[in-house]
Amino acid sequence: MKKGLNYIITLLLLVVVAYNSVYFKKLSEVKAAGKSKQFNATAYAQDYLNGKLPSALDKALDVNRLTALLKADPETGFQKYSHALGIGNIRFFLVKGQGEIAKIEEDATTLLVQQDTARQLIRIATEYVFGNAVRDASGLININEFDNTMDFNGVSAEVNKIIREKVLPPFKKEAKKGDEVIFTGAIELNQAHLKLDNIEVVPVTLQLVKKSQ
Amino acid sequence: MNIQKRFLPSLFLWVLPVLFCLSACRNNPAAGKPKRMAVVVSTLNNPWFVFLAEKAAAKAKELGYETKIFDSQNNTALETDHFENALASGYQAILFNPTDAEGSVVNVQKAKDAGVPVFCMDREVNSTDAATSQILSDSYAGCVALGKYFVEKMNKQGTYVELLGLVGDNNTWNRSKGFHSVVDYYSGLKMVAQQSADFDRNKGMEVLESILQAHPDINAVFCGNDAMAMGAYQALVAAGKADKVKIFGFDGAPEVIESIRDGKIVATAMQFPEVMANTAATSADEYLKGKRDFPKKLPVAVELVNKEDINDYSAYGKKE
Repeated sequence: MKKGLNYIITLLLLVVVAYNSVYFKKLSEVKAAGKSKQFNATAYAQDYLNGKLPSALDKALDVNRLTALLKADPETGFQKYSHALGIGNIRFFLVKGQGEIAKIEEDATTLLVQQDTARQLIRIATEYVFGNAVRDASGLININEFDNTMDFNGVSAEVNKIIREKVLPPFKKEAKKGDEVIFTGAIELNQAHLKLDNIEVVPVTLQLVKKSQ
Repeated sequence: MNIQKRFLPSLFLWVLPVLFCLSACRNNPAAGKPKRMAVVVSTLNNPWFVFLAEKAAAKAKELGYETKIFDSQNNTALETDHFENALASGYQAILFNPTDAEGSVVNVQKAKDAGVPVFCMDREVNSTDAATSQILSDSYAGCVALGKYFVEKMNKQGTYVELLGLVGDNNTWNRSKGFHSVVDYYSGLKMVAQQSADFDRNKGMEVLESILQAHPDINAVFCGNDAMAMGAYQALVAAGKADKVKIFGFDGAPEVIESIRDGKIVATAMQFPEVMANTAATSADEYLKGKRDFPKKLPVAVELVNKEDINDYSAYGKKE
């Protein structure tokens, strides 16, 4: 009798342990939960370009003022106006300006930017819109917010993709030599080997002012 | 009974302090020992990693630490042994170049559990909280720049081969993805083969030799590091195609810098191993002096090196 009771209690314990050790879930639910945790680089890039970046661009330095400062006092220029997410010589600046189209090529449009007495030719990238300039120049994004590096790299890829798909096509279609262009964007400079004679802006906004207007 | 009474006080007087000392020593294995930092590196079979490890050890020595370099020989099991040895020997910090982003996490976690900070150099582990800080080359951005230059040099058309590094290393994929994030936009550029050569020069040569059998008319080879780029160059010399195929590397190794100058290799992406090694050793020293606020990941910028600006660079860095 006692032996039988022991068997029953042991069996009950085994059933309770087994019941609590195994769980069944629908595969579709597990997959959906995994997806919801996935980082959405496109949404993040859109929010950055439309939400956070415009106010930073309002405070961007005029491109001619920036180059004048970098020629006169590069250390202050880099310290005050550049951003980068890590260490090294590559730094990024947000810039704005207005200039007349001097040349249209396959990969870039060259503008003559005049301000006060300063005038210089700068290139607006219209083909190779890649890299981290737009993502990093504002200093608004912190790499440590991201669980993995590829998510972080995905932000740059998506930001550049939006620029290639939304900003460049209407500009390339309409731009003619002699037109005025009001632009904002980002540039990349190497502070150890500073070259200011061939500045290329990755555009964020491009507004054409037609000569006839 | 009397004997007990006579001995008990002296027993407490002598035994308790000894026990206390033993307990203190167990809690702090480094007590009374010299300050020590371990450098655990994925392999010493590649000059780039030898440079990284030696610079880290030299900086730690300069900061007043005894150091030892442990070679994991690209083997996570051996790496585990090195971590166990380093922890048992009372090293206070580990400057670490992981073998495998996933497989090395357990070693870093073990050190963390033992209260020993780990600072990763150049390669990352897939954990945001195991290592105290990870100081990493921005391989993705470096290969975006390399990819853009590749497209320009190829005039947006041609066939190419990609030699990948170790498949378990995140750098392999960060470099490949950075490169393809640019090159794949150009339909005129076709990748005819993509194979791993484990970041190894000899394997790079063998893999390309075999690919050339099937694809003798390629226009370019993109390699995930400079060692494979030199191996690829040897394979192309042997096949009589060295002057027809453009080779691109990644690292900034001495031989490749000379090869870019001589026109044998088109471009590489310069990493700065000394910057990473110095930052890791200095951060570890700061940690041991009480600082706790470190960035989880600290990218180090990578720079494109080509024939036009080769005079700005020397092996593993910028010209002073």
